[in-house]
Amino acid sequence: MSKKKIVKNIEGKGISQIDSVPNQKILNRNEDLEYYKDLIYQCGKCGTCRTAYQEKGWPRVCPSGEFGKFEAYYLGGKNLLTWAVLKNQLKWSEKLANIFYSCSVCLACIQQCQIPEIHHYAGEWLMAMREEAVRKGFGPMPEQTLYSEHVSNEYNPYMEKHENRQDWIPSHIKQSPNAKLAYFVGCTSSYREQNVAVATAEILNALEVDFKILSDERCCGSPVYMTGQAEKASKIAETNVHIFKNAGVEKIITSCAGCYKTLKETYPNKFKLNHGIEIIHLPEFLLDKLNKGEFEFNKEVDLKITYHDPCHIGRHMGIYEPPREVLKMIPGIELIEMPRNRHHAWCCGSGGGVRSAFKDLSSYAANERIEEAKGTGVDAIVSCCPFCLNQFKSTVKDNDILPLDLSELVRKAL
Amino acid sequence: MINSEIVGELGSIVGDKYVSEDPEITFLYDYDFVTAEPKGKCDIVIMPNSAEEVQEIVKIANKYKIPVIPWVTNMNFGSIATPRKGGIVVDLRRLNRVLEVNEDDMYIVVEGGITWADLKGYLDKNHPDFRAGVTFSPPGTGVIPSCLCYGMFDLGMLGGTGAEFINGLEVVLGSGELVKVGSCSLSDYWYGRQPLPDLAGLFIGWEGNTGIVTKAAIKLWPRLPYREDFLAIAQSVEQGIPMLRKLSKVGLGICDLLCQNLGWIQSLLCFDTENVAIDPVELGLPDFYSLITTQAYTEDQHKAQCEAIRDICKEFDVDPLTAAEQIDNFPENMRGIIEQMFPSTGGQSPIQFWGCWNFSRGGGGEWIGSYCSTRDIEKYYQASRKVCLKYGKPPQFYSRFLFGGHYSVARTNINFNKNDPEEIETAKKILKEIHEEVQSIGGTIMYKPPLWAVQHHKDKMLPATRDLINKIKKLLDPNNIMNPGHGIGDE
Repeated sequence: MSKKKIVKNIEGKGISQIDSVPNQKILNRNEDLEYYKDLIYQCGKCGTCRTAYQEKGWPRVCPSGEFGKFEAYYLGGKNLLTWAVLKNQLKWSEKLANIFYSCSVCLACIQQCQIPEIHHYAGEWLMAMREEAVRKGFGPMPEQTLYSEHVSNEYNPYMEKHENRQDWIPSHIKQSPNAKLAYFVGCTSSYREQNVAVATAEILNALEVDFKILSDERCCGSPVYMTGQAEKASKIAETNVHIFKNAGVEKIITSCAGCYKTLKETYPNKFKLNHGIEIIHLPEFLLDKLNKGEFEFNKEVDLKITYHDPCHIGRHMGIYEPPREVLKMIPGIELIEMPRNRHHAWCCGSGGGVRSAFKDLSSYAANERIEEAKGTGVDAIVSCCPFCLNQFKSTVKDNDILPLDLSELVRKAL
Repeated sequence: MINSEIVGELGSIVGDKYVSEDPEITFLYDYDFVTAEPKGKCDIVIMPNSAEEVQEIVKIANKYKIPVIPWVTNMNFGSIATPRKGGIVVDLRRLNRVLEVNEDDMYIVVEGGITWADLKGYLDKNHPDFRAGVTFSPPGTGVIPSCLCYGMFDLGMLGGTGAEFINGLEVVLGSGELVKVGSCSLSDYWYGRQPLPDLAGLFIGWEGNTGIVTKAAIKLWPRLPYREDFLAIAQSVEQGIPMLRKLSKVGLGICDLLCQNLGWIQSLLCFDTENVAIDPVELGLPDFYSLITTQAYTEDQHKAQCEAIRDICKEFDVDPLTAAEQIDNFPENMRGIIEQMFPSTGGQSPIQFWGCWNFSRGGGGEWIGSYCSTRDIEKYYQASRKVCLKYGKPPQFYSRFLFGGHYSVARTNINFNKNDPEEIETAKKILKEIHEEVQSIGGTIMYKPPLWAVQHHKDKMLPATRDLINKIKKLLDPNNIMNPGHGIGDE
């Protein structure tokens, strides 16, 4: 008998809800620690959060725990450390902050937990603990402070000049200055994975979509917010919304998973900025057009690939199938799944400020994913997040597998 | 000697990354975060990666006469890996490798820190025709501690308790020496504990008082192609248990045979504390829910076995519906985790559900878990039920027939809100009272006992038996460093 799915994605967010359990507490999201205090202690650190126990092979899912090893680095440990702080059994310290920051907030753990309220809300207090660390002066980590200052000054975390942000735009890209649709490129594609930006812009041109790239596009604030600096990130968000509105933007397409989550979910729900702008991720946009028959692929791309679910559109936003559907429509593409996929995908190890502050953990996670991808016997690991792509590119040493972005394959197939 | 110097010495064995005295790390070893048992104190935690490293750690502990607590998850209802007298917690989670699978003799050799998730995952992936028994504890709990403490599996009718699934052990004694027991002590094979003196008994049921198990062989069983799970419901435990007694003596491919009362079922449905009925029997609801699992090699054999099981159920006026049929009658949003218990209703085989069930979502739970004669199960239930109701707690009862029906386990869980000190105190009272009540039923012996129950065992046994235990303890752990404050060997 096939396994019944007892979880479903709830509206507006990837966080899923167990729907077979009665009397669940319904709470707000994005609140502070105090608000969640009557849930956190329910955890017994049973270890369910470590393993995709609903799937064959029961693979491990938590990069932070598997690298850090001690209980403190798994969700169970973090839950109970949070409880200890709330009960004044444990004081804030550098070590405590370090534990909470040694985590990419990929949220694979909460997908496993079957205590309904922890399954549902643990992501909130993982972030609330980071915010509390900042308030107490123990966060963010020094490397994260450094890039955050650069975001304030030059609007990107890559130590690059703002004036060079659009250097990637080739002369053949056609923009429509009056378009209501903006392509929000994001910092990684602007400065590091410019091939993603070029491919996306070329796709939009090929599909004859009127769009523009904002001349004053700035960091969305994700790297700042994800490291607990909510106040600072909120100000960035306010400025960005102001820029969007001034430019007459009504719809934004982004090719970055992190930007998408931040603009679509964090801005309105955390920062209460009801910008009213439609935010869409490139694969969703493409799938919609493919399904409506507005275009089709006319070139073959002969490649065996596996798909890596970026945490920010997967577990954080519940988008698992659109990228897969787009990829499967490309003639010649054979998609082979990794054992850990969708809700249980292993994180690439770059998010949550981990790549800058905890390089060993970050490399460990990326290596693990690349080895898993190689195990499927494919030619390429494809994602739809430039940050994941950049992480994989810096991890692959032997050219055994090619990291690619979905936009690059789509561009080739047009 | 202060901790930091010892930490330095220990770090030279395992590497600095794997030893800590930081309160943010050790806090999580102070307590089990589930039971009503008191908090302890972990001074240092260390994660060795080999038996040799375990030996070196134990030698250092002996040098400084510091307690050593073997630890995998400390998710047991006796809280028996909580450090009662400080010391070094030896977290075995890095020792989680599968070393060998022998399909001919059907055993698997694993390291001492392997979890149920590791074990089941490995077998499903690499040896899908074989399976180990699986407990109802969460996937992150340890296989070997469960076996050493008489934990129960879903193959209990075939093989008995986890202790009976053990074929052999490699152990670092409290003195730091390494020993092997079972056939592995004389050969490369780990097929059993015969025919030498059965020294595995020096480590089974001792709660870590005598040594740290670094390797063990566990029996495997063939995964047969046909399986059915019956969820037969009767009005009362008194009506249902005689049916199980009969089913335990008829073969019929029955590999698991257990029952729960409605109190337990309410937990599986994940009702929260505000919505459970304290005494659902008063409402006229059925109070006996049995799980009868049968398996077979051929379809004809399977059909015949199922038919015979149905006939026996009917003899006792019990409707022999399958789990799938019964669960279809439950409203979808009130099924809790019950569907996940059975492969035949889409669960993993079986679900390990402690984490899901979460004690009616108060987070706290402890049991009186006792082995007993199958003839006394009903008496046990009534005795424990009376105490629970006296304190306004829904009785949560569970019983499992083991080893072809040669004995059984009966237990009563107490749920509580672990953030509420008053509720914790009440839970303690109930547990002790149930323990006292069920002592009047001969042969009822608590397993995974916390210290207060261990003392009862010691008081009750013959003085010569107690002396023998003390002599063994002295021999294997001369400095009394192994998990002090717990176990039958504690002085």
